[in-house]
Amino acid sequence: MTGRRVVITGIASHWGLELARRLERDPGIEHLAGIDTRRPAAELERTDFIEADLRSPLLSRVLPSTEADTVVHCGILWYPEPGKPASALHEINVIGTLQLLAACERTRTLERVVVRGSAAIYGCDAAAPAFFEEDLAGKGKLTTRFQRDISELEDYFSNFARRHSELVCCMLRYQPEIGAELDTPLVRYLTLPAVPVQLGYDPRLQFLHAADATGALVAAVENPVRGAVNVAPDGAISLSRLLRLLRRPAIPIPHPLFRPTLERFGRRLGVGPLLGDAIRMLRFGRGVDNRRLREEIGYEPRYDAVEAIRDFAAKTNRRRIGPQLHAGAVVERFAGAGR
Amino acid sequence: MSATDTTEGPLPGPEALADFLRNMRVGVESGLDPLTAAQRAAGSLPKQLSGAVDAIARRLQGEYHEDEWGFDEELAEAVFPLFDFLYSVWWRVVAEGATNVPSHGRALLVSNHAGSLFPFDASMITMALMKTHPLPRWPRFMVLDWAFVLPFISGFMRRVGGIPASPRNARRVLEQDELVMAFPEGVKGTGKQFSERYRLQRFGRGGFVEVALHTGAPIVPVATVGSEEIYPKLGESEALARATGAPFVPLTPTFPWLGLLGLVPLPSRWRIEFCERIDLSEYPPEAADDPRLVFDLSEEVRERIQQKLYENLVKRGSAFL
Repeated sequence: MTGRRVVITGIASHWGLELARRLERDPGIEHLAGIDTRRPAAELERTDFIEADLRSPLLSRVLPSTEADTVVHCGILWYPEPGKPASALHEINVIGTLQLLAACERTRTLERVVVRGSAAIYGCDAAAPAFFEEDLAGKGKLTTRFQRDISELEDYFSNFARRHSELVCCMLRYQPEIGAELDTPLVRYLTLPAVPVQLGYDPRLQFLHAADATGALVAAVENPVRGAVNVAPDGAISLSRLLRLLRRPAIPIPHPLFRPTLERFGRRLGVGPLLGDAIRMLRFGRGVDNRRLREEIGYEPRYDAVEAIRDFAAKTNRRRIGPQLHAGAVVERFAGAGR
Repeated sequence: MSATDTTEGPLPGPEALADFLRNMRVGVESGLDPLTAAQRAAGSLPKQLSGAVDAIARRLQGEYHEDEWGFDEELAEAVFPLFDFLYSVWWRVVAEGATNVPSHGRALLVSNHAGSLFPFDASMITMALMKTHPLPRWPRFMVLDWAFVLPFISGFMRRVGGIPASPRNARRVLEQDELVMAFPEGVKGTGKQFSERYRLQRFGRGGFVEVALHTGAPIVPVATVGSEEIYPKLGESEALARATGAPFVPLTPTFPWLGLLGLVPLPSRWRIEFCERIDLSEYPPEAADDPRLVFDLSEEVRERIQQKLYENLVKRGSAFL
């Protein structure tokens, strides 16, 4: 039996690159190819790079020629990236997925499709279940742009899965990731010298450790299951405790002013805009149930919601934008003043 | 009191305080982070105070436990004295039958719901359990999800054990073998007129029975008397309800006429009775899909609570004295 042939879209993204690195070490994979509009930042050993835009119909000719049996879609963007502005997110996410699925229809050798989607599809609501299960998507109202996009592309994807019952189509719904090496607006927000929060709200959050984010993706490529799977750590942590563990003081701001404040001062400090989904998440919180990930895909997250934060704190405590402002650090300065 | 026995008194003498600061500085200079240094240096302070310094430093560092629902046992213990005052002095609660609540494993407490402006029944049932059960444990309670939209209140509710009311949440927390309190009357219970007091409303659609059947949890009916008189609802203000998004805004003899003072609940006398538990383990989990059974069980629980309410009203006698 010959090895598997895997194509990764969005290879230049952090997660596409991480996945390719892990899969290169897998001897069971005969051929590995990556599609993106620009070259990945790091050199890969045995991954063929195909320069193509997911949004272009050209993809329908490129993809069948790879004779792939597995397609992993890592091209869904949470945030604008260099060369991919906010105004293009909808195009990239929805139209890109649509074109990719059209190309998948033409690929006769295909057996499985794995999409790295987002748990933003559930939205964030005070009245929501504390831990969303996979069948609850689309029950609430769609409030943010990103949520609408994700929900639209998931619709296309589930239609595709219905038409092609011979294919294993797996949609992974990721909670936001955290890791010292990540450069997302949410991670930068959490490393501000003092972190603005919404007055009176203390949401329950789940941040997925970067190692688990990659681990779950690799596990899902090896053993995909049909339908949607939540990817999240066990448990949850409140924002107030999270900031204490990170030794970052919180600045409460009335919630109507939260977004403008972040936009005005955040950009200067290099936070970048937080999307509507993140703003709502920092108000109402969001928890998802990860039983399908553990029981069906068979991946046990190594870090739970609290350990992920502790690990992040240990790795970023020396690296911060601006001065130390936490109560502990202030005491330190006073204690040293008498010398 | 001399300066030497400072380890006994509640307040530190100036010397102990100076010692504390000196030790702390030594700690910081030798590379400890300030909070840990404060914790170590607190050894020279009187016991109570050093304990407090320790606890505050730990909380500031985020070193406390919080479960996946956001329940924070330390905080619940910290607000215990306040609710104890309401329990023992303000409402003079008499609780009976706490031993009907299992001391381990899952169970669903089902109670009548009242107290238009701010229902205190969940907190008082919790107090009754903590004070009269031989092996007490903190129950979790289902809260109207609108409360979780409110700033401050939402966070507080969650920390003391509140969970947004939804069958999914109830099932999950019961599967974790917790004690869960539900108020199937919901807003219909809290929002009824004072003249309707102690008349049980419809028990939703029997969702609580479905949850109990699914998880195999026994149901413990609870009858709470006294909660209806704390904020007697005489009418309601639709304009205020529309403005705040609340399900209803009650008008009581004191609220909103006296402003914040109107939020002080009236000192009625309370009785809480935990009735004999209803064991549902004879039914398989699929029984939850049988609407007839669900409806019958729901009605059975409702009648039992209603009957106990009448009994306890007679036992209580006068509502306030």
